Amino acid sequence: MTQPAARAYWITWVMLLALLVLTFALAHVRLGNLNAAVSLAIGAMKALLVALVFMKLRRASTLLAVFAVAGLLALAILFGLSGADYATRATTPAPWTSP
Amino acid sequence: MSEHTLGPAERAWRSETVSLGMWVFLLTEVMFFGVLFLAYFHVRHADPEGFGIASRHVHEWLGTFNTAILLTSSLSMALAVQAASGDDRKRLVRLLAVTGLLGAAFMGVKATEYFLEWKDGLVPGPGFRYSGAHRRTVEEFFFLYFVMTGVHAIHLTVGIGAVAWNALVARRERHVTRREDAIEALGLYWHFVDVAWVFLYPFFYLVLLYK
Repeated sequence: MTQPAARAYWITWVMLLALLVLTFALAHVRLGNLNAAVSLAIGAMKALLVALVFMKLRRASTLLAVFAVAGLLALAILFGLSGADYATRATTPAPWTSP
Repeated sequence: MSEHTLGPAERAWRSETVSLGMWVFLLTEVMFFGVLFLAYFHVRHADPEGFGIASRHVHEWLGTFNTAILLTSSLSMALAVQAASGDDRKRLVRLLAVTGLLGAAFMGVKATEYFLEWKDGLVPGPGFRYSGAHRRTVEEFFFLYFVMTGVHAIHLTVGIGAVAWNALVARRERHVTRREDAIEALGLYWHFVDVAWVFLYPFFYLVLLYK
């Protein structure tokens, strides 16, 4: 497999560390509900960088990319359906659960 | 089949097959971590205030430092994969050693954190000594914290072992291109463990840092 240049890896690393500093700094600023969203978004950006450059999805074949995206899709279904369940049902404690 | 009988097309085909196999394994790993993240969202959503209070008890500086270590280990791993492909044995062995040592450093910091939390009585179960507000959520937070970071640490330990093994094998190899696909698959695994941590980090360390 043809390998990307080392330069791309170093640049990605610098970007990852910059995002780490950014997310740590922003977590100290009160943004209300946005705090959770911002840290999740920056986390997703870091994951995307690692996946695209280090894991080479950027240059991967369509088949490989489909497999990678299938994981996210299955995860979305898991979160979506289970989340809908939690959101719409009353919680019934089990008999042995202390209130 | 010996290496020199393989043409470039066959090598590319084999390389693609190895990567695809590793990605299928990583899909099962995504689902494995996925249910844990689902449990996380449930607990956090049920009592956001208690969750925030609980998160103030972890050591955010150690966690941030550890994240930097792990991200750096991904860089050295990516460079190691490149060295294997370029048949540069010395560079490969050196970069694998750096990757393994960074992984070990991460484990050392994590162990320090666990020790501090154990001393503070934050380990769920009979030894759980926190008695402030939102006790139940705080205990659930630390249950999730130890399970999820613990599962991650097990993955990393496996990764460190595999990196060390590959470094030892590569040292005796005349042509490390023979190990190219193994190192490539190892790299995918290592980066996946890094990605899992990239989400664990904000979820446990950055919940409520502002005053």
